[in-house]
Amino acid sequence: MRNLQWILLAACVALGIGWIFIAQNWIFLNLFPGLLVGPGLNLTNFLQTGSSPAFSVFWFGCIVALFIWIFVTSSASPRSSAQTRQMQPMWWLAAALLTLFGWLCLGWFTIFQWQVSGTSPEASGPNFYPVPPGGWFILMGFVLIDVLLLFWLPTLLASPRTYRLVVPGAVTLLGGR
Amino acid sequence: MKHIFAIGVGGTGAKCIEALVHLHACGLLIDDDGNPARLGVFLVEPDQQSALLVRAQTAINRYCAMSRAIGRNSDLFGRAELRDYGQWSPLTTSSGAISLDQVFPKAVLRTQAPGVAALFDCLFPPEEQRADLEVGFRGRPPIGSAVMSRINLEKEAQVGQWQQMLGDIQTAAGSGEPPIIYFFGSVFGGTGASGVPTLGQLLKNWLKRQGLTSIQVQASLLLPYFDFDGMADDDTGVHAESRNFQLNTDAALQYLRSSGKACFDRVYLVGSDIKARYGFSIGGTSQSNAAHLVELLAALGVRHSGKNSGGYAHVLSRAKPQAVGWEDLPDDEAVGEALARGSRFAVAWRNNFSHEIGDAQKVSMSTFLSGAPWAGKFFHPAGASLSTGGRPGIRDKEQLTVQSAIDQYCDTFLQWLNQIASNLGSGFRQELFSADLLSPSDRFEYSLSRIVQGKARPRRPESADTVESIKVQMDCLPSQSLPHRGMAGLADCLWALVV
Repeated sequence: MRNLQWILLAACVALGIGWIFIAQNWIFLNLFPGLLVGPGLNLTNFLQTGSSPAFSVFWFGCIVALFIWIFVTSSASPRSSAQTRQMQPMWWLAAALLTLFGWLCLGWFTIFQWQVSGTSPEASGPNFYPVPPGGWFILMGFVLIDVLLLFWLPTLLASPRTYRLVVPGAVTLLGGR
Repeated sequence: MKHIFAIGVGGTGAKCIEALVHLHACGLLIDDDGNPARLGVFLVEPDQQSALLVRAQTAINRYCAMSRAIGRNSDLFGRAELRDYGQWSPLTTSSGAISLDQVFPKAVLRTQAPGVAALFDCLFPPEEQRADLEVGFRGRPPIGSAVMSRINLEKEAQVGQWQQMLGDIQTAAGSGEPPIIYFFGSVFGGTGASGVPTLGQLLKNWLKRQGLTSIQVQASLLLPYFDFDGMADDDTGVHAESRNFQLNTDAALQYLRSSGKACFDRVYLVGSDIKARYGFSIGGTSQSNAAHLVELLAALGVRHSGKNSGGYAHVLSRAKPQAVGWEDLPDDEAVGEALARGSRFAVAWRNNFSHEIGDAQKVSMSTFLSGAPWAGKFFHPAGASLSTGGRPGIRDKEQLTVQSAIDQYCDTFLQWLNQIASNLGSGFRQELFSADLLSPSDRFEYSLSRIVQGKARPRRPESADTVESIKVQMDCLPSQSLPHRGMAGLADCLWALVV
């Protein structure tokens, strides 16, 4: 990997941390409270014990996937461009699994963990966070945005060697470089 | 600019010309300032069906075609100038005669000069007089000498290939550094042994008459370096026999000792005590002797300026009795680097980049680029033709013509290298190349580390000595450092980066 790619990778990781742990919660709290808050749901409580842990675990998953991608592409020995392109379906698979993983994290911290433990996240409420449909739409949409920000962007900017343009959109965005 | 006029006489001479063309392609023929020399090649061979002649001509034609296709779109690769003067048979001067008794009509001799006719009968037994010379001089220098001595260079200089070459020699002599005329041929066979000294002397006399005494006439003379496997049958007639090689050589060396300076200003003598084995052939298409290291060494004689060394005859020796390495080659640093560059280029191009270009014809350019970012440096990313920035489309017909020309030359070069590396005598080994890697393959080659052995191998870690590393280097190059685009630009860049 070139020095610039290491710098871009570090910048993307730093940006991802800022986004997941600060910016995203601020957006939920200030831009979409109307969609997220429903009957019997305390938004502050949900952000602290529901969405934040879910997105933290999801972030960790993205970082792991990102470094697996960097490791695999750095250590591979493709003989041809066709072999290099064989990583493209792998990338799509990783991105799809990360999206699923993100949604599962949301499901776990919002519903399943309370169901399994038989406890209720809210006093005298149901044993799950009653997130309204609009809220689910926002949360699941943010998982997609996070995959773009935490996986697509760093792999786009920091894929090494002949894998530089294998990430979707790279030829259009970086091909003329 | 330095001008070299190389004349290959006979089958071995043709093989040396083949080696010289490849050395020229590797950039080994240069002047004192490091600029590529202009090489003119001429093949003298009565056996116009000779497989060796065909092979040398193929190498010449393919290099010329590649050089033409590349044109000025390259700085280093394929820029060495090569002029082909074609092939010439000494039998063409004898009004279609194909045997000695037709060259010297006996009936005419008997009536007009009975003494000469008797001498003719005394020197040449009936089977030699009647032997069909269209397959060469059958390993008999006396036959060749009789035919060659009838050449009238003054007359030949008026027409055809001789006219072109001698005209160019005169022109080159008048433009700066005096040209070098260089002969190649064996002294143990028929055509070379008789033709090289005879033509050398004829040419030296012609130069004297033209007042071109500054022109050096040199020769690489090949001593025995192969034997024949198998025997001729009863119908073969007069033929070359390896048991005569030493006798022929002794006679040739005695002649050189007494009269050599009348033929050449300097000679290089190279042979091998360990003989390669070739299947017996009388000549023609069946004579497909593989290339040999001795021919490479003979061709390297052209590089020897001789300015710092006196003497008439130069010889070579090797350090180890059973092996040859880079250290045994004259000027081994430069020769090793150039041959390493050439061989690594040929493998990387033919067994990787060319396949990549083929792959690019089957998918969209953006799909291809996603796995080959380096390609965007040389070809238009949208596949458009003649776009801004001078990047042509990867599917342009002209570009594919260039690719095909480079492919064909690489095939020829790899075949020659493979034969050099594998055609050795019994118990003898070479420590120059890995022969198994020097062949065209459908498989994408990845590692380049084993192609060249020994001290000529580039000093870089094995893990970084790969085609992929070169592709990455290409991708990292700033656009302004790439003066040429398209297929020729790609080849030029690979040529620069491969060592």
